Amino acid sequence: MSGKATYKTFKGGIHPPYNKELASGKAIRPAPVPAEVFIPLQQHIGAPNEPLVNPGDRVELGQKVGSSEAFVSAPVHASVAGTVKEIAEVTGFTGAKVKCVVITPDAEQPEFARKDRDITALSDQEIRDIAREAGLVGMGGAAFPTHVKLTPPKDKPVDTVIINACECEPFLTCDHRVMLERPHDLVQGLKLLMRAVNAKRGIIGIEANKMDAVDAVRGAAKGEAGIEVEILEVKYPEGAEKMLIFALTGRKVPPGKLPSEVGCLVQNVGTAVALYEACAWGKPLYERVLTVTGQGIKEPANLLARVGTPISTLIEACGGFVGQPGKVIMGGPMTGWAQPDTSAPVVKGTSGIVVLTPELVDVGTEEECVRCGKCTDVCPMFLLPNFIVQAVKKGQWDRAEMWGALDCFECGCCSFTCPAYIPHVDYVRKAKAEIAALKRR
Amino acid sequence: MADKMLVTVSPHLHKKDETIQRAMKDVLIALTPAAVWALVVFGFNVVYILAVSCITAALSEVVMRKIMRRKPTLRDYSAMVTAVLFAFLLPPTTPLWVVAIGAFLAVGVGKELFGGLGKNIFNPAIFARVLLWFSPLAVYTTKFVKPFFWKASGFFTPIATSIHEGAVGRVVYKTLAGNPVADVTTAATPLSLLKSGKWLPDVVSGPTPVGATWVTSGGKPNFWSLFLGAKSGCIGEVCILALLIGGAYLLWRGTIDWRIPAGIIGTFFLLTLVTWHHPVYNLLSGGLFLGSFFMATDWVTSPVTRRGKWIFAVGIGATVFILRFWSLRPEGVALAIFLWNIGTLVIDRYIAVPKFGEVGAKVFNRLPVLPEPAPEPAKKQA
Repeated sequence: MSGKATYKTFKGGIHPPYNKELASGKAIRPAPVPAEVFIPLQQHIGAPNEPLVNPGDRVELGQKVGSSEAFVSAPVHASVAGTVKEIAEVTGFTGAKVKCVVITPDAEQPEFARKDRDITALSDQEIRDIAREAGLVGMGGAAFPTHVKLTPPKDKPVDTVIINACECEPFLTCDHRVMLERPHDLVQGLKLLMRAVNAKRGIIGIEANKMDAVDAVRGAAKGEAGIEVEILEVKYPEGAEKMLIFALTGRKVPPGKLPSEVGCLVQNVGTAVALYEACAWGKPLYERVLTVTGQGIKEPANLLARVGTPISTLIEACGGFVGQPGKVIMGGPMTGWAQPDTSAPVVKGTSGIVVLTPELVDVGTEEECVRCGKCTDVCPMFLLPNFIVQAVKKGQWDRAEMWGALDCFECGCCSFTCPAYIPHVDYVRKAKAEIAALKRR
Repeated sequence: MADKMLVTVSPHLHKKDETIQRAMKDVLIALTPAAVWALVVFGFNVVYILAVSCITAALSEVVMRKIMRRKPTLRDYSAMVTAVLFAFLLPPTTPLWVVAIGAFLAVGVGKELFGGLGKNIFNPAIFARVLLWFSPLAVYTTKFVKPFFWKASGFFTPIATSIHEGAVGRVVYKTLAGNPVADVTTAATPLSLLKSGKWLPDVVSGPTPVGATWVTSGGKPNFWSLFLGAKSGCIGEVCILALLIGGAYLLWRGTIDWRIPAGIIGTFFLLTLVTWHHPVYNLLSGGLFLGSFFMATDWVTSPVTRRGKWIFAVGIGATVFILRFWSLRPEGVALAIFLWNIGTLVIDRYIAVPKFGEVGAKVFNRLPVLPEPAPEPAKKQA
C-alpha cells in the first residue's frame, strides 16, 4: 500500500512509525567531554586490537591507542587528550565485556590539528592505507573495516559506488543532518571511494522523506562527473545493502555473496565523510555524529560525540529522560541493542541512542504461530521466518537452513509485523550459531 | 537511575494493532452482514443456533484447555469465529443439540485436540461440518427451508426440528415455553434443484422486507434472488452481496489474502464456463463465496507463501467443480477445503520460493545436508 510508487524501491518491507521529526531539525552540535572515556579495542568486525599504551601514559587527541597486524581489523584512536587510567574490561553495548582503554581527559581539550593534504593526487592504494590508518569502519552499524571493503577481489571489478543515505531506521537523523550540513564533504568522500576502487559511477540514494537533503547533495554534486543523486521510496529496510543495490541498479546480489559480485560497493554517509576527513585533514575516526532521540528524551539532538563517551553523558547533554524510560536502544529501534543501563560507551558504529517511553514499548507475549504468512510477505529476502522459528524450536537445523536462516540479515520486518509477537530474529541468530557450529566440524 | 529498563532482542518496534485478537475481531465484523441477512431470511431461529454454537464453542475451549493445562485463550476470539462459521454452514432447521455437538467437535476436537490455534490441521468449522456429514447425525443437517418461510408462522417462532427433535425435547419445550412451533416444509436448494435437472423456481413473490418486489423469472434462473440471498441454503451462505461486503472489509484490513478467493472463484468459474455447466447459476449458488472468503483464507490451514496460496486456491476451485458435478452430493465447497487443508502441509513443505537474488527457478525445496550433531545432543531448546 505505497502511496507513491514513483520512487525506486525493492519488494517486501514495512512502514514503521518513523518519528524523524523529533530530531531532523536539530543542527549538529558537539557533545560534552565526559569525565572518562572508554575506548573499546574492538569496535569492528574482524581481529581485535592490542593496546599500544600503558596505564599512566599521556595520549594526544587522535593518537593511535590500539592496533592489530591482521588485515581484517581497524585501529582505534584516542578521542581526547589526557592520561591513560587503565586497560579494563567494560560492559559494551551488546552486553558482552570488551577490553577498553580508559582515558581521563584533560580539563582543556585542544582542537584537532589538521594536516591538510591535496586529495586529488592520492592513488587508490594511498586512499586504502589512509582509511586503514584512520581506523575507518562502516558507520551504519555493522562496523566492517572500510579498507577491506575497498579491496575487492581482482576478478570482480567494482563499477558503481553507492552511498547509503537512506537512513531507513526510524528515529535516526544523523545522516540526514550530515547531508544538510556537509554535502560537499560527502560528495568529495564519494569521489575518493570511487577512485579507491576505480569506479566510474557513484550513486547517492536518499529516501523521499529527506527532500531537503536531496537538494543539498544535488547542489554539491553539480558538475561532478559520474555522480547521481537518486530518490528512493520511504520503506524499511531500504538501506539494507542488497535491497539498496537492487533498488538503484536492478542488480541482485546472490545469496551468500558480497556486493562486489555484482560490481557494487556500498558505503554509509558517515563513512564517506570520515574518509574525506582522513584524506584531506589527516583526521582519524575518533568522533562521529549520532542522534539522541525518542519520546523519552527531553531535548532530542544530533551530537558530534567522541568515541568512548558513555551513553549517560549524552543523555544528560540532551536534558535527561522524560519520566521513566521504557527502553534505551543503542542504534536504531529496528536493529539496535536494548541497554540494561546507560554505562556502555559509544563506538564507531553507533548511529544513535533511542529512548522509548514505556507506552511505546510494545513487547506483547509470544503466542503460537498462526501461519498468517505476514512475515514472508514483508521479508525482503523472500525467506520463511515462521518456518525457521518452527525448525529452531525442534532443533532441526537442516530445515532452518532450508528456510533461509543463513540468508537473513536480521532487519526485523517479520517480528515487527507478527500478530503472534514471535521474536524471529532471536531464533534466526540461534539457528545461525548452531549451523555454523555444525559446519565447522 | 533508571532501574526498570527493558532488555529484549531487536526489533524494538511492533506494528500498531497487529494482533491475533484484532484479526479475529475483523472476521467477526466481516461476518455481520451475512448474519443480519440470515436473520432476515430465516427468522429468529438463526439466533438460537448462533447462540448455542458460540456458548458451546467457548465452553469447549475453556474446558479442553483446562484439561490439557494450557493457558486460556478465549480472549483471542478464535473460538467465536469458529462458532459463527460453523453455524453458518448449517441449515436453519438444524436441531440445537446437533449444533452443540458440532460446535464441540469444531473447537474441542478440531482445534484444541490438535494442539490449539496454530497447530490445527483442519479449519475447525469445516472439520466439524465434514464430520457431521459423514456421521449418523447427517440426517439432521439436510433439511432446508424456503426463504421468508417465517411470514406464515411468525418471525420469532422457532422451527420445530430445531428446538425439539425427539419426544423429550418436545415435552420440555412445550412445558417451559408453551409457544407454538413452526412445522416447516423442506425446500430444495438451488444446487440440489440443479442436480435433479431443474432451475431455481420463482422462490419468492410478493413484497420483500424492504418493500420492493423480487424479480421473478418465469422458468428461467433468477440471478438476482441468487445474488441477494432469496434462496434456501445454509444460514450464512445465501446472500452473496453480504459475503462480498464482508470479504471486501477483510481485504481492506489486510486480514485475508486476495489470492485465495480470487483463485478459487476464478478457477471454478472458468471450469464451469469451459464445460458450460451453468457458470453464473453455479457461481451464485451454494457455499462458494462463504468458503472462498472466510474458510479457505483461514491463516492456520492455508499455505503461507503466495505461490502456495495460488496452488491451494486453484486446487480448491477444481475440487469443488469435480465434487459438485461428479459426486452424489450437490455441494462440495466444505469437503474441497477439508481436502486441501491436508494439501497445505505438502505445499508448505515442498513448494519452494526462490530467495532474493537466487538464480534459476527452484520448484521444490530440498533439505541441505548438515553434519550430524555430536553424540551428546546439544538440543536444549524449548
